[in-house]
Amino acid sequence: MAGKHGWKCLAVGLLSLIAVPLAQAAAPAEKVIRIGAMYPMTGRPGLYGMDSVAAAEMAIDEINAKGVAGGYKIDAIFTDSKAKPAYAVRVANRYIAEDKVHFLFGVVSSGVGLAVTEVSKQNKVIFIGTDHAATELTVDNFQPYYFRVSNDTFQSMAAGALYLKEMAKTKPWKKIAYIGPDYSYGHAQWDELRYNLDRFGVPFEVVGEYWPKLSDPDYSAYITSIIKDKPDVLVAGFWGGDTVAFIKQAKAYGMFDKLTYFHPDAGGNYELMSAMGDELPLGLILSARHHNNWPVTERNKKFVEEFKKRTGRYPTYAAEGAYAGIYAIAQAVEKVGNPDDADALVKAMEGMKLNLPEDPEGFVSIIDPGTHQIMQVQAIGTTIANADFPPAKVMLGNWSVYQPADIFVPAEYIAAKRKK
Amino acid sequence: MDFSFLLTQMVSGLTMATLLFLVASGLTLIFGVGNVFNFAHGSFYMLGAYLGYQVVTVWSLNFWFALLFAALGAGVIGALIECLVLRRIYGRANEGGFQILLTYCLILIIDDLVKLVWGAEYKSISRPAGFSGSLTVGDIAIPSYNLLIIAIGLVVVVASWWILNRTRPGKIARAAAVDREMLGALGINVPLTMTVVFGIATALGGLTGALAAPLRTVTPGAGIEVIIDSMIVVVMGGMGNFWGAWLGALLLGEVNAFAVAFVPEWATLFSFLVMVVVLIFKPEGLFAPRTTRKV
Repeated sequence: MAGKHGWKCLAVGLLSLIAVPLAQAAAPAEKVIRIGAMYPMTGRPGLYGMDSVAAAEMAIDEINAKGVAGGYKIDAIFTDSKAKPAYAVRVANRYIAEDKVHFLFGVVSSGVGLAVTEVSKQNKVIFIGTDHAATELTVDNFQPYYFRVSNDTFQSMAAGALYLKEMAKTKPWKKIAYIGPDYSYGHAQWDELRYNLDRFGVPFEVVGEYWPKLSDPDYSAYITSIIKDKPDVLVAGFWGGDTVAFIKQAKAYGMFDKLTYFHPDAGGNYELMSAMGDELPLGLILSARHHNNWPVTERNKKFVEEFKKRTGRYPTYAAEGAYAGIYAIAQAVEKVGNPDDADALVKAMEGMKLNLPEDPEGFVSIIDPGTHQIMQVQAIGTTIANADFPPAKVMLGNWSVYQPADIFVPAEYIAAKRKK
Repeated sequence: MDFSFLLTQMVSGLTMATLLFLVASGLTLIFGVGNVFNFAHGSFYMLGAYLGYQVVTVWSLNFWFALLFAALGAGVIGALIECLVLRRIYGRANEGGFQILLTYCLILIIDDLVKLVWGAEYKSISRPAGFSGSLTVGDIAIPSYNLLIIAIGLVVVVASWWILNRTRPGKIARAAAVDREMLGALGINVPLTMTVVFGIATALGGLTGALAAPLRTVTPGAGIEVIIDSMIVVVMGGMGNFWGAWLGALLLGEVNAFAVAFVPEWATLFSFLVMVVVLIFKPEGLFAPRTTRKV
């Protein structure tokens, strides 16, 4: 019996010796661009994570259908970042050590982004930031292997300052108050807005600053106190469900009849319109990193409708960032010819032009070589009745559009921050 | 600083305190009677908000029915969970550890179930008819819905006092808090008592979720937002003490409201500072927890 068994083993061994090289010759190993993505999938930021994953998969399907030059296909792994820096760092390290990813990708929270960029720097693996907005990542904490493919808070606050400057001509204002979450994202927006108001020579007087904790469910005390301050303009720096809760509660106090509500970074995200329906007050001044109804281009319409077809809902702005990130990777690999040479890929991405859904006619997004921050147009609008994107009944309109050259981080700001 | 501002700020604090108390009351009731620290209590609050959304927005039914439906729904689900899951760990050697693990798992499970049923998008409920207006005090309007919340909170406080002190089931619940073994020896069905108390506590959570939904965001993870402050209130009030939770919530709500008005940059810190001060001077909480008295 033992002898018989031995013969069998020998036969299988011999066959495998012949068959394996044959199989390899017949079907060469698939050329794969491996992406390790991290997004929060639970709790309040879960919606941003789910939209990002859906849009990234949409871009991957579109690109893989055509193939990347050199015969490459994109393969992404998605892991819940739990919106926790320490956990995301473990995931990123595992992606690099075990999955041998060519790119780290994603991240909603700037806190997580700041942690993951360190992993990217140490391992010389490119990290594509798709959603988090803290300017620190491309200015103070810049490292060559980090790229961001959505606008940062500086750009939205510079656009905001220009909007307020323009507004003063028709609706004079001087007193300003701020409310935003008490962590780096909230503080950065307020610092950057004041910096830009000064830069553009806009006079203002601060009458109140409020710092509720992130995800605070109750803003009543803040609202009554803001009304007491009597600002002409209230600037808000919330994101996600905090915006919805604040606006609902402020509406109950009649706050929007007493001041101009101004929320230029994340206030105009579709999640607010979809949650509040016809209860969303008109005339609020909001913006976001992508809008479902602006620009009115075929590219944007196709992106929005395709997303709706895949998921059954219209996208929040996080989706477009993830979609852009995948296209940036594909374009870089096309140029370099392989996904293995990180330094060549960095060079390829510096100054890269990308035609994205949020680009208006005649404009393409550009990745700034000095900061690795994408330069995009920022559109600020006011809430008007529009039921084209249900369940929303109110969308943004009356757009004011700002060009990247006017709102991008100035060289002296970068120099001063990096010097520190 | 005029009087009308102080009054509106006080009402703001009272609104926050009432919602906080309504969540914390359930949390402290379970702890007081069953000695279970239910980390997932916030998830029943969230479940109540979603059940309210289902009734008001999806089924287009009455808001008052939504409150009832949310309380009943969360109560029944809570009772079932106690019966099927929690009961299995009572009396184990290290029950505390199992409680934390089990109730934490429940948070994740309920969060994901909610996402499966209603999706991850934020939801909202309109304020009920008759309560969308406001009462003007000086420069500031106080929303009538906030006054309704405060009134409902008062009703719950009075009703709970009456049930716990004047009715037989209330007395049984209080007795269970002191000595469950003795209660069993007297012929009371202790497991049933525990299930009912757990159901009532989670019903309070569900009711609060639906009551808060017209002012807050209905979203997965909403439970986590309320559980930390509720825990502060429960610890400050004295673990398991109903009235302590009420006083703790009032203290926290008002301190927060006036800190926001006068020292806004330190407002968040004050919630924790109040707890620290209370616990330094009264480590057992404002009202000492019920313990078996030695005679």
